[in-house]
Amino acid sequence: MAEAVISKEEIMAVFPTVQNTVADALGCDVDDIKLDVSLIEGLDAESIDFLDLIFRLERAFKIKVPRGKIIEDVRGEMAVEDFEQNGILTEKGLTRLREYLSEIPDSRFKTPMRVDQIARLYTPETFCKLVIRAQRSQAAG
Amino acid sequence: MMAEVKGAGSVSAPTSGRFAAFSFVDRITAIEGVQQAKGVYTIPHDVTYFPVSLVAEALGQLAAWVAMSTCDFLRRPVAALAGDTRIHSYPKAGDTLELHVDIDSCDRDSIAYRGRATIGGKLVLELLDTLGSNLDTEIFDSPEALATDFSTLIGAGRQPGCFAGVPLPAVTVSSHDAGRRIDAMLDIPQDAAYFLDHFPRRPVFPATLLLDAQLQLARKIIADMTGYQTPLQVTRITNVKVRAFTSPGATLGIFAEASSPSEADPEPILIKVGALAGTRTIAAAKIFFAPESRE
Repeated sequence: MAEAVISKEEIMAVFPTVQNTVADALGCDVDDIKLDVSLIEGLDAESIDFLDLIFRLERAFKIKVPRGKIIEDVRGEMAVEDFEQNGILTEKGLTRLREYLSEIPDSRFKTPMRVDQIARLYTPETFCKLVIRAQRSQAAG
Repeated sequence: MMAEVKGAGSVSAPTSGRFAAFSFVDRITAIEGVQQAKGVYTIPHDVTYFPVSLVAEALGQLAAWVAMSTCDFLRRPVAALAGDTRIHSYPKAGDTLELHVDIDSCDRDSIAYRGRATIGGKLVLELLDTLGSNLDTEIFDSPEALATDFSTLIGAGRQPGCFAGVPLPAVTVSSHDAGRRIDAMLDIPQDAAYFLDHFPRRPVFPATLLLDAQLQLARKIIADMTGYQTPLQVTRITNVKVRAFTSPGATLGIFAEASSPSEADPEPILIKVGALAGTRTIAAAKIFFAPESRE
């Protein structure tokens, strides 16, 4: 089933809390946390920061986000071998990633793209959408 | 209900190197799937310096054994975030720590757990909201060797007394604004026994020793403070995060800075600490102090 579009209003409704949470997790000023800044390239986030961030978002929004949820959601029902081969995204996998991370400009997607590079694309908006999806999933029971 | 692990007679272990120099579980006494585990660790009688952060290390190691045992030792928790550590008392040489961990979740990529350490039933330290990243074991150690060590721990146990102590942190203060802020350089040794165990294939300066060095800096700020009738002691350490590995021979900039606790914090004093590799912040924590309880 296709996912209902996430509106800008929904994103902006959760953004202030996401913004504060990202600032706390990364130890930077709230004003530095723009909706579209790359967390790794723009704010020096490390992989451990994403673990911290998700944990904090779970608390802030009273949601549950399984670890590895973003990659799992991107792949959806696609078979692993259709999504990636030897750690490199297939063409279908890359198309799926562009759809899922629709907030990211095309120029930031590299070809070929390794699965372990996906996190380099994440922005605060990615986490706003993660929160909204978790809230929807929770509301749907 | 947890299964009690019974063993007779501990197994001799080397007194240095892997599974000795920086290993703080002597025996796993009970284990229940991936939910709970209990263990014990005896601080050797001849150890003169046992930082309280090593109690947290012991709890983290017990959780790590459980996590590793669920994935054939192919993944292991390494970096950690400790949201809230509460210190109730300080252990001394010869004490036996009773370790208990509750694992909230554990998958390929991460582990979330809580833990508590007691001595004779009396609470020493609690770990709340602790997270670890699970990385490929092969980078750090031999999965086969870890599996063998785990069998020892859940069986007869390891012979206590392997820990020979850690050197005091080599801290050189570079600036000191009394009662407010201290900056210092921390020289990580090129050779130290704990690097043989943490970790055999890739030596990494233990985050708990970095925290101890930061704690010592925080205590220097506390020593500047007057006006308290009773000595100040650490009661809580929150927001501990280590974001990068530090190798032998590295030099880190470390600092401690007095800050204001929030209204929700019960302690009157907060010292923020951090560590930098060059200009990059690689570790941070908040350390809370309160007047020593006279109970």
